[in-house]
Amino acid sequence: MAEKEVPLTAVKVEALVVLKIIKHCSQTFPTTATGSIVGLDVGSTLEITNTFPFPVVEMPAESHFDNTAPKPNPAAAAPRAKANTAYQAEMIRMLREVNVDANNVGWYTSANMGNFVNMNVIENQFFYQKEMNERTVALVHDPSRSSQGSLSLRAFRLSPKFMAAFKDNKFNSEELQKSNLRYQDILIELPVEIHNSHLITSFLHQLQNQTARSGPTELPASLAALESSTFAKQPILAPNFDNLSLSIDPFLEKNCDLLLESIETHHTETSNYQYYQRSLAREQAKITAWQTKRKAENATRATLKQPALPEDEWQRLFKLPQEPSRLDSMLNSRQVEQYARQIDSFVSSTTGKMFAVKGNLLPGEIAK
Amino acid sequence: MAESDSFLHLARPLGPLLAGSAPTTAPLNVGIQPQALFSILDHSLRRNADQERVIGTLLGTRSEDGTEVEIRSTFAVGHTETTDQVEVDMEYQKQMLALHLKANPREVLVGWYATSSELNTFSALIQNFYSGQGDGTWPHPAVHLTVSTEAGKDIETRAYISAPVGVTAERAADSAAFIPVPHEIRYGEAEKSGLEAVAAARDAEERSTTLFTDIEALERAVEEVLGMIDRVSRYVESVMDEEAPASIALGQFLLNALALAPKVEPADVERDFNNHIQDVLVVSYLANTIRTQMELSNRLATAQLTLGGESTNAESGGAQRGQRGKGGGRGGHQRNQERNAEEARA
Repeated sequence: MAEKEVPLTAVKVEALVVLKIIKHCSQTFPTTATGSIVGLDVGSTLEITNTFPFPVVEMPAESHFDNTAPKPNPAAAAPRAKANTAYQAEMIRMLREVNVDANNVGWYTSANMGNFVNMNVIENQFFYQKEMNERTVALVHDPSRSSQGSLSLRAFRLSPKFMAAFKDNKFNSEELQKSNLRYQDILIELPVEIHNSHLITSFLHQLQNQTARSGPTELPASLAALESSTFAKQPILAPNFDNLSLSIDPFLEKNCDLLLESIETHHTETSNYQYYQRSLAREQAKITAWQTKRKAENATRATLKQPALPEDEWQRLFKLPQEPSRLDSMLNSRQVEQYARQIDSFVSSTTGKMFAVKGNLLPGEIAK
Repeated sequence: MAESDSFLHLARPLGPLLAGSAPTTAPLNVGIQPQALFSILDHSLRRNADQERVIGTLLGTRSEDGTEVEIRSTFAVGHTETTDQVEVDMEYQKQMLALHLKANPREVLVGWYATSSELNTFSALIQNFYSGQGDGTWPHPAVHLTVSTEAGKDIETRAYISAPVGVTAERAADSAAFIPVPHEIRYGEAEKSGLEAVAAARDAEERSTTLFTDIEALERAVEEVLGMIDRVSRYVESVMDEEAPASIALGQFLLNALALAPKVEPADVERDFNNHIQDVLVVSYLANTIRTQMELSNRLATAQLTLGGESTNAESGGAQRGQRGKGGGRGGHQRNQERNAEEARA
């Protein structure tokens, strides 16, 4: 199809989807929640019009025994689990009957302080882009960042370059150098737009006007009457004043923890690589030694007029170590970049707030 | 909205009570979460052109004693209505319910919704189906939520439970007395920022908006606060000029609000400010340093092969260098964290 050629450039999310995702993610927080999103693909925009959560299959207890690695999260792997593909197909079939846009356009996941760049996400999105439909996105909602103030909902896709590399698992240095794949190229972020239907727009206006419409009110008789009246309650759609809060330490601490974790990962990856380098060098030294020995032997045999021994037998005798995949360290770099951006954005608003507070409490300072 | 309606709730047994079959009609409070309401509105938009109203199932939680019901999510159920009969896709409802419960094991069936305020015989039939034994909500009453979506009129939401009515059991099967119950829209902390973003699209012509960055959100909040302060000070001024009626209660309220301003010594402010701003900036600086170091070390690890024979040396050297730098970064980092922790303790 001709329109298939247009690359996706934007994601339009219905208000309903936003709220449903928020509900699901905050319910299960801090464990990861995942679900499927359905919608329409219009030109270069992907319109997401509905969503449903994936069931979490409880792992039987015995599968946790042999685990040295961190506890596997069944929900994180859910989007590509076999049982869920069936669930999703069934659900979409049901939704079609009630006129919902029944095209699978991707999946969503929740994150905690932006720690979503990991193998699970990559594998899920790879699965979607490869098996289901090329034009799918992963929506990432971050409940912990949303509670800081502004809503954090982002859409990601895997770049075609990364798709190609991931398919053949080409992540050794040589291939990476050839393809010039960098960590910035793993995920492409698409701008997210929130869209309301007419009904919802009118409903929101109505909510807003509810108090205004009742006309001028009597002045309250007493303080208690004022505090218990409807005006004292927070209106539903008032802007969120949470982002005026000055408690910054928890956020910074959490971010520091995450960064330290990333450094640990990086450290492990580097030591792995160094180990590989050392063993490679050792093997190569052995091979060279063997080759010189064989050459010398052949030279003596030549003087003795004996047939020369084959010189390429080393390929059978020695095994070069496998180069560790660079993928993990690439993902880690991407993750650290994510943290750094997040901290930057946080710092930019925090410094503003702090100077404002200082200016307020010490009015004289400003005049100076 | 139905909140403005007032009604008197009389709990009384009505109609022939088959032993133990009638759900209780005790009054209850209904809380509706915004996403449930939004999906009802969405369903209403997606109805077939010839359909007057659409119905669907309400899911949510019920408190122990059954007096509090919270509607958390909904799904649409197909139905056809003609002048003399109604057909609800029971099979669909059952399958969908099973699918839904798989993903949300904590939610239960609490009732059904319709997108018109009208209550008729069919409503009673459907209501009896939902509140019945077996697949229904029995022994709890089924909640019926109506959301009118008529063009040109306000969206009205009403909640009802039903009591059986009718002289014989046969008559009772297709009739019900709908009893209005109080309801309200409840939204949690988590939804606040989502609703804010959704509400931002409210006044836009194309009904859409982009998401805010942190700093934009801050700007909006500050502007809003400034606007409110302006309004209050205008009011106070007009009271002082004797243009607006004064109110002791309002005065007290404002005074209380003003009293919330903390009294801190300038030196303390200065100290706390300096400590915090340093923390913030140091963390930001370190985060970016770590990012650069990691990128550098990865770049050196992958991009060295062009140097040919020297590659191995150059690479390991690069990796080590990267690591050493990182070590320094980490040390600094931990120190900083310790300081943070100390402050938190203090």
